[in-house]
Amino acid sequence: MEGLIVSNALLWILLLALAFAVMGLVRQIGVLHGRIAPAGALMVDKGVAVNEPAPQVTASDRNGRPVNFGYAGEKSQLLFFLSPTCPICKSLLPAIKSIAKEQADRLDVVFISDGDMDAQQALIREHKLDDVTYVVGPEVGMTYQIGKLPYAALIDKAGTLRAKGLVNSREHLDSLFEVEHLKSATLQDYLNSQPHPHAHDHSHGHSH
Amino acid sequence: MHIDPIFIIASALAIAVLLASAATHKLRAPARFAKQLADYQLLPEALVRPSARVIPVLELAIAFALLVPVSRSWAALTAASLIALYAAAIGINLWRGRRDIDCGCAGPDQAQPLRPVLLLRNSVLVGLALLASVAPIVRDLNVFDGFVTLFASAVALLIYAAADGLLANSPLLHKLIGR
Repeated sequence: MEGLIVSNALLWILLLALAFAVMGLVRQIGVLHGRIAPAGALMVDKGVAVNEPAPQVTASDRNGRPVNFGYAGEKSQLLFFLSPTCPICKSLLPAIKSIAKEQADRLDVVFISDGDMDAQQALIREHKLDDVTYVVGPEVGMTYQIGKLPYAALIDKAGTLRAKGLVNSREHLDSLFEVEHLKSATLQDYLNSQPHPHAHDHSHGHSH
Repeated sequence: MHIDPIFIIASALAIAVLLASAATHKLRAPARFAKQLADYQLLPEALVRPSARVIPVLELAIAFALLVPVSRSWAALTAASLIALYAAAIGINLWRGRRDIDCGCAGPDQAQPLRPVLLLRNSVLVGLALLASVAPIVRDLNVFDGFVTLFASAVALLIYAAADGLLANSPLLHKLIGR
């Protein structure tokens, strides 16, 4: 009997310790989620400055309807520059589509491409982009001075360019919204403004 | 129904600690709680501020009453109805489609959107509170019973905290894996 009581007490104590450890683990995962805020879209330093009014340009989409860029409107605009010949652009399409769906009430997503129309049609068929706004033509890319693909730019309701950058992953895309949220011109600026030494080193690597 | 007092006292203790911790979070940041309450859009605006003051006091009163054997039964029933009321508030807003408001469920660092799984969480708590309201069979309690009661409620609370943390993390995880 004595042995059973001791064993029972011991089990309770160990169970309490185990439950404590599990709770601690969950908390740490929560902290990690907070720390790994999306980071990454690399700003190529040319073209329009972030937090300045975006250049205003109008181009027609592939059905001939005019699309305005950089004008104040009801929704923010996400410009996604792509090309049928760029494999990373294609790999990002599901992420772009899911962002467009999630934020449909506040964000218009515009796909901007250039080049051979047949290749565009094939891309649109393959990725089921029939319903999206899809602009084919060099005007927008030249106005925004896009040199590398895939590139994305975020313009807010007032027509201000909020974030832009080369995007290679879903995290890079999310970082554009994070930059908008942090109200810094770029993530690099934000990290520079943080006193943390590692963040500073990291941003140096990017900006020089 | 005849249930051993250990179950009843342990669940009363767990619910009491839970309510007391919820009340302290609300008392420490009354403005945030008032905002969360207003976000639920269930009360007329004039009633939001007074209710934000009364609710934490009510929670503390129930928590203390749960610890006293004489008042345990009715305090547990009140706690069950209060938690069921919260579940109803969540349910109404889910039904309205307002999923993106802060649940206000788990303290300051764990803002989380409304999801149906929160109703499950509240119904588990209601079950626990109802268990605490049952009249126990009368028997003498010794030191070892006290030890088991204390540890059982502590383990229940830790597991609850872990489950709550997992619930709060899951929207972040879904965002991370891009769903």
